[in-house]
Amino acid sequence: MPSIDDVTDAPDELSDEQAEELLEDADLVQDMVGEVCPYPQVEAKKGLQQLEAGDLLVQETDHVPCTENVPRAVGDDADARVWRSGNATYRIYLRKQ
Amino acid sequence: MALTLLIAAVVGTGLGVFLQKGRFCFVNAFRDFFAYKDSRVTKGVIAATLLTMVFWGIAYQLGYYQGFWTPGWGLTGLFGGFIFGIGMTYAGGCASGTLYRAGEGYLQFWITLLFMGVGYAAFTIAFPTLQSTYFAPLTFGEGVSLFTISPIPAGLLAIGVAALVLLVYATLVGRAATGVDPDDRATTASVRMTSLLAPVVGLRQFARGTSAYLCGLVETWSNPIAASKRPWDPRTAALGITAMAVVWFTQVSIVGVTGPEARWTGYLLSQVGVDAGSFEYWGSVLFQGQGVGLTVDMVMIGFVIVGAALAALWSGDFSLRMLKRRRLPNAVVGGLLMGAGSRLAPGCNIGNIYSGIAELSVHSFIAAIGIVAGVYVMTHWIYREVGCAI
Repeated sequence: MPSIDDVTDAPDELSDEQAEELLEDADLVQDMVGEVCPYPQVEAKKGLQQLEAGDLLVQETDHVPCTENVPRAVGDDADARVWRSGNATYRIYLRKQ
Repeated sequence: MALTLLIAAVVGTGLGVFLQKGRFCFVNAFRDFFAYKDSRVTKGVIAATLLTMVFWGIAYQLGYYQGFWTPGWGLTGLFGGFIFGIGMTYAGGCASGTLYRAGEGYLQFWITLLFMGVGYAAFTIAFPTLQSTYFAPLTFGEGVSLFTISPIPAGLLAIGVAALVLLVYATLVGRAATGVDPDDRATTASVRMTSLLAPVVGLRQFARGTSAYLCGLVETWSNPIAASKRPWDPRTAALGITAMAVVWFTQVSIVGVTGPEARWTGYLLSQVGVDAGSFEYWGSVLFQGQGVGLTVDMVMIGFVIVGAALAALWSGDFSLRMLKRRRLPNAVVGGLLMGAGSRLAPGCNIGNIYSGIAELSVHSFIAAIGIVAGVYVMTHWIYREVGCAI
């Protein structure tokens, strides 16, 4: 039976350790704190245009809908995962395909 | 009166919770559809509107309702709606989205609200002139709801419209699923076959999707507390918003946001010594000569912010979010365009797209086209460097 997570289409979540480790490897980090859609989506697309396949783009955000909208906006251009701090801040990890 | 206030508090809080948990955003619904064909929130908005229409139609037919909101129809809806659509896309939040984001702790959206207030006040000052130069020439007929003039009973009419939209949707989905472009087909017979089959395929897919969703919903009951903290499907928000709107329709009126906000502006200005009642728009239009004071719908939208704040706190999404300086123009200009546009239309995304279509108001069909056109143009401008899908 499908769970509610299947229908909300949220990207896979990273654990705290994975999130920290990956952040150190990031090729581009975008500070999107205080920003709302659509600007993080546009910036993510622009950022990915500068990167090579396999590179990692990390967006830091405090806007909840971005955790779903940014991965959907970049679509097949990147593999998306999110990290939720549990305290109203999030990171979106986009690995360029 | 105490009971009405309690209803306002419950409906407002409920709307705030469902808007926040479902990220139920009209800008998102249309912008992301134009930008990269993401129709998830669009479907939620359509579902909420159609469900509300069915329940309101039935309530109206049975006599359980308090009244419609039907401004005169004409080009005001198209023009004002277009300005509103531009404004909400630039601001990054529609009238209802601004409220729930204000509740989540975004300073940016409190500034948006402030400048929507400036827009309402500027409109009020210009109203006597606008009435003769804008509203009179651009309004073509008396406002009307199809529920009141149709020979078909309202409940049946609403079900019919909803069924028709579902059939069109199923046909589009079915056609996409079978992957057939009628122009590419060699024979007319095969075109006819796929045209006939598309709605069936689409309806099947719709039924599968709905039952999968309902199963998921049932599943969440195994761990309701954890599920309530996670983000919700826009369809869940649509169901909740519909329930709240039905209560509001039977007890008070249709759901509106910018009308009550424009009243709030007059009320707050009157509290600091402005004689708001002496302005024609506040005095005789918004407060209908009853005097500038708190009305029940003003209380209701106040509780939308409270509901969103509670839902955000519960989910760990609440924090005081400072504004980035480069986003100040979005809050200021977006707010002004939303405030002024919603008065020029009149009505915002909730009054016109959600409630207006749900009450089958002729004016709102035109205003909804204006709003969506505004979002379309602004989305293309915002995405000009990275490209739009549509």
